[in-house]
Amino acid sequence: MPGVTTDSRSFCSQSNTLRPYLAAVRSTMTASLCLTNFSSQVVERHNKPEIEARATPEVLLNPVLISRNESERVLIEPSINSVRVSIAIKQADEIERVLCHKFTRFLMMRAENFYVLRRVPMSGYDISFLVTHVHAETMYKHKLVDFLIQFMEDVDREISEMKLSLNARARIVAESFLQQF
Amino acid sequence: MAHRKVNVDQYADEDIFVDENQTAQGSTAVSAQTEADVDARAGEVRNYLSRGDTPAAVIKALENPPAGREVTAVKDKNTATVMSALAAARSTDILAIVKSLDSKQTDVLMKYIYRGMASPELYNAAVLLAWHEKTVEVAGLGSIVRVLTDRRTV
Repeated sequence: MPGVTTDSRSFCSQSNTLRPYLAAVRSTMTASLCLTNFSSQVVERHNKPEIEARATPEVLLNPVLISRNESERVLIEPSINSVRVSIAIKQADEIERVLCHKFTRFLMMRAENFYVLRRVPMSGYDISFLVTHVHAETMYKHKLVDFLIQFMEDVDREISEMKLSLNARARIVAESFLQQF
Repeated sequence: MAHRKVNVDQYADEDIFVDENQTAQGSTAVSAQTEADVDARAGEVRNYLSRGDTPAAVIKALENPPAGREVTAVKDKNTATVMSALAAARSTDILAIVKSLDSKQTDVLMKYIYRGMASPELYNAAVLLAWHEKTVEVAGLGSIVRVLTDRRTV
C-alpha cells in the first residue's frame, strides 16, 4: 500500500520517554497484581470484583495515575481481588480521535474474546481492562503484564499507521477525481 | 433485594470500617504546626537548591511529609516543594541520590513520584518517570506496593 511507510523518526524521538513510561506501567502493574480470592462481605455466596462493586471500602487500595504527558496516561486501581487498568491513548487531532474511537469500539464489542477487557471504558479514558483473581490464577502473571504493555505499544503504532493509510487513500481519491477536469 | 444493599457493619461497633485518615493523630492531623513546618521546609529546600546542593534538597524535602486528612492545600504546597527538588536533579545524579536514601525515605519519594504523575499539567512527567525507574531499581516493587496500600496519602 502506498504511503504506509511509517515515519520511524517520530518513534525514535519519542522512545526516550516511551521506554520509562512503559517500564513504570510494567512495574506498577506487577506490584498491583497481587490478587487473592475474596468473597463478598456484603452478600452471602457472592464473589465479585471489589473494585467494581465498591461495597467494602477497606479492600480498595490507593489508585495511581502514571502519565507520560497530559494526553497519554494510565490509571491503575487495585483492590484485593481485582485490578482495573484504564488507558488514555494519544489523540493529536480529529482524525486520530475518530480512528481511536472506532478501534477501541471494535475491540470492546468483542470483549469476551479478550478475557480481561472491560466492555465500557472508565470516563475520561479510551479503553479499560479488568483483571480479576481468576485471570491471575489461570494465566501467567508476567504474560498478563506483557499483554497490556504490548497493547499499549501496538495501539499507538496501529493508529498512526491507519492515519497514514487514510491520508494516502484520500490523496489518491482526490487526484483521480480531479483528473477528469 | 433491597436488604442486600444495607451495610450491616454500621450496626455493629467493632465491625465498622474506620478510615485511618479520619482518626489520624500527631503529624498526620491538621494543625497550624504542620503548616508552619511545610513552609519552613520549602524555604530550606529553596536554600539548598540555590546553593546547588540537590541531594540535600531532596532529602530535606522528603522529611516528615504531611499526610492523611491534612487539608489539601498543605499537601499541595509540600508536593510543589518536593517536585522542585526532584526537577532540579540532573538525570545522571538521580541514581546516586536514590541510593543514598534509606528505605523510609524511598517510600516517601515513591509516594511523591506517583502524586506528581497524577497531575501532568503541573509537573514534568518525563522527569518523574526517570525518578520512578531509578527508585524501582533501588527499592524494588515493595516500594510500589507500600504506595498502593498506605492510607496516609501525601
